[in-house]
Amino acid sequence: MTADRHPHRPQSPPAEAIRIGVFICHCGGNISDVVDVRRVAEEVGRLPDVVLSTTHMFMCSDPGQMLIEEKIRELGLNRVIVAACSPTLHQLTFRRTLGRAGLNQYLFEHVNIREQVSWVVEDKAAATLKATRLVRAAVGRIRHLQPLAKRRIMIHPSALVIGGGVAGLVATRDLAKRGMRVTLVENTPFLGGRMAQLYTLFPSNEDAKELLGKLIAEVVHHPLVTVHTSAQVMSSSGIVGDFRTKLRISPRGVDKRLTQVGIAMAACPEETISEYNFGLTRRKAIYMPYPGCWPQMPAIDWRSCTKCGKCQAVVGGKGIDLAQEPKEIEIHSGVIVLATGYDPYEPMFGEYGSGIFPEVITLQQLIRILDPEGPTAGQFVVNGRPVRSMAFIHCAGARQYEGINMPQPSGKVNDYCARTCCTAALHQANEIKERFPGIEIYDIYQDIRTYGRGHENYYERASERGVIFIRFDPMRLPKVRHDPRGEKPVVIMVQDMLTNRMDVEVPVDVVVLATGVMPHDISELVDMYKCAVGYDSFLLEVHPKLRPVELAVSGVFLAGSCQGPMDITECSAAAAAAASKAAALIAQGQVEMDPFIARVNEDLCSGCQTCLTVCPYEAITRDPRKGVAVINEALCTGCGTCAATCPSNAIQQFGFTDTQVMAEVEMLLADMMPEPLPTGGSHE
Amino acid sequence: MSEPANTAPADPRPAAGPNWQPRIIGFLCYWCSYTGADMAGTARMKYPPNVDIIRVMCSGRIDPELVTTAFARGADGVLVCGCHIGDCHYITGNHKTMARMPLLKRILLDMGIEPERFRHEWVSAAEGEKFSKLVAELTEQVRRLGPLDWPGLMRARGVGHGMDLKAWGE
Repeated sequence: MTADRHPHRPQSPPAEAIRIGVFICHCGGNISDVVDVRRVAEEVGRLPDVVLSTTHMFMCSDPGQMLIEEKIRELGLNRVIVAACSPTLHQLTFRRTLGRAGLNQYLFEHVNIREQVSWVVEDKAAATLKATRLVRAAVGRIRHLQPLAKRRIMIHPSALVIGGGVAGLVATRDLAKRGMRVTLVENTPFLGGRMAQLYTLFPSNEDAKELLGKLIAEVVHHPLVTVHTSAQVMSSSGIVGDFRTKLRISPRGVDKRLTQVGIAMAACPEETISEYNFGLTRRKAIYMPYPGCWPQMPAIDWRSCTKCGKCQAVVGGKGIDLAQEPKEIEIHSGVIVLATGYDPYEPMFGEYGSGIFPEVITLQQLIRILDPEGPTAGQFVVNGRPVRSMAFIHCAGARQYEGINMPQPSGKVNDYCARTCCTAALHQANEIKERFPGIEIYDIYQDIRTYGRGHENYYERASERGVIFIRFDPMRLPKVRHDPRGEKPVVIMVQDMLTNRMDVEVPVDVVVLATGVMPHDISELVDMYKCAVGYDSFLLEVHPKLRPVELAVSGVFLAGSCQGPMDITECSAAAAAAASKAAALIAQGQVEMDPFIARVNEDLCSGCQTCLTVCPYEAITRDPRKGVAVINEALCTGCGTCAATCPSNAIQQFGFTDTQVMAEVEMLLADMMPEPLPTGGSHE
Repeated sequence: MSEPANTAPADPRPAAGPNWQPRIIGFLCYWCSYTGADMAGTARMKYPPNVDIIRVMCSGRIDPELVTTAFARGADGVLVCGCHIGDCHYITGNHKTMARMPLLKRILLDMGIEPERFRHEWVSAAEGEKFSKLVAELTEQVRRLGPLDWPGLMRARGVGHGMDLKAWGE
């Protein structure tokens, strides 16, 4: 460790005489039944600078903590070691104990002699030896600890919500109601997200667009809310309390002065498929997805617009400007809520006949067809043919099995349950039975579950109304083929598990794939905010039960189906939870963070920039004037990777400096040296 | 509460014959592997006491120098554990571990340390059983190789190798 010998290194240990107190816990026998704790205390008590080495039945109890406080005051201890359970349990407890006794809480070392000694070692003598070594190592290490202070960061009282679907809208509304300034950004030109593409909603049969309209009105008319549509997040910097997000806002091309909307749209010669109707219809380059959309004016789709100017000419140029340029703005916010939503699973070519037969459609397309304002004005017509019989196939793109289903481009199959499609499919089955009573419906599933209040009714009503259920074996998927008899366009060949694996042929007019959900592609945001992503590619919360709407990145929250398949009820609940968590954080005014960050010793840094390449958070930059690395302490999360990388040992991580960890190594092995090292840290 | 009647003998010296126990240093990341080791404890999975654990925040913090120092100070084996790739609490900290450790293994070979004395594995917070088996396996592997006793070796050869025990300026 040549660098440790550098004269510029801060002096360690400090000038004040070190007085170490060692407290060993019996844990009511959990430890002391295996480890001879008195013997450990005795052995460790012989080490230099150990002023006190004692045991207690329960260190974490009030009397145990009182003992530590008393001894700190009485003996003037300035370092405290507690050997007990795992630090994940009580490290914080004892840090606070030190704080109460007026000692810096980071002059503490927690030794794990329960989970990692007494509970796993059978031989008592060996366990006692091991505990002694571990406590001895802590004595070596604690000599080199320095008082540290928690970092405090002020929080800007504002929020940025990314995604204008139902989750983003609910989060925005709730945050604004609590008096926070909120910026809502939506990638597309219109608010509403996937909810706008639905017709009636389970379990209340309310109209999706009407409900959405109410929610949008609450949001956009709130004085604290700013909405940016057609806005893309370009880059983001900063940390909790102080995020700076750059947005690129594409021009709408249309403003409020445009009154003759229909005439302008009719004049447009360019057509493209309608995303809103899932490709069932075509739309113009200047378009509105549906009559009640927000904003109540068309937008120009610049990918299909040729700037021919016909729309402009037909309205006399009023309200249409094809020459607008995109603009970039920066949003300053204290917290960020991600509500980026989902995309319906897109069946692969040939999957259940998809792409081969126009009669194979998705559940999302069926919902558009059944919408009275949809492409067929509510008539149940597919490929120009009125439907008399139909079949649902469940779990298309969900609960897949490797080797059975075709994998995604990532190589993975969607093995998770998409949760919403069972109820959604049966909801549509009931809708069809009500509106078109003569239609035969087959429901082909591997498993079916309409969980949730009021949802079970859909299954029961569907059974009563004569929907025929056929259960397939996920290892033998149903096949969709051309009907050889020509009575119907397609026939489904399936082995029915409910009738002892009887082979069944079901000729139908239309096959509806109850398609699952996939996370919306937000790989750029994932990189930008360093989001954790689960094995299913949805965003991953810190803890599913204890911190369900928070990302590991402090100050970034999850709302809705970016986190996993959810129905609208669950999305709203998740969004409301995210909003209240975000609001609670903002209300604190500031955040405290652990001090275990890394710092550069400028005298030692050679400016090689190796550390810049290893930092997962891009927290390190090079100071061009001094030619040395600089760590942005606000961005540093304290992993220590740079400290391990620096060839000059110029970077040290507080709490885990080379000296501290080396002292631990040395003291663990002190008995292995020809001349035992009594204190550790000989490389000082 | 009855006091255990066990007595702790002094640590056995290297190459002390039949009583010799391998000494292994384990560097574990806090978020996955250390929690995985705790989990083995919570489930009372018994494993040999030979691996002494040092906790770091991320396996990316494990400087190869820490590993070589452990050997230089008398360890018979070293274990390095981190989160599985993709599970790192610090996103990509363990990617650096993944790059470093195979290189380190080659360097150890050049130094005359059998590669079987060094083990690098991913252990998640839920893999208590994997951890306990890993410790048992590595302990037996190192036991078969016998003591390394690098301090004794260096002393016999009269070379320091950064092992001069005097602190700077002393």
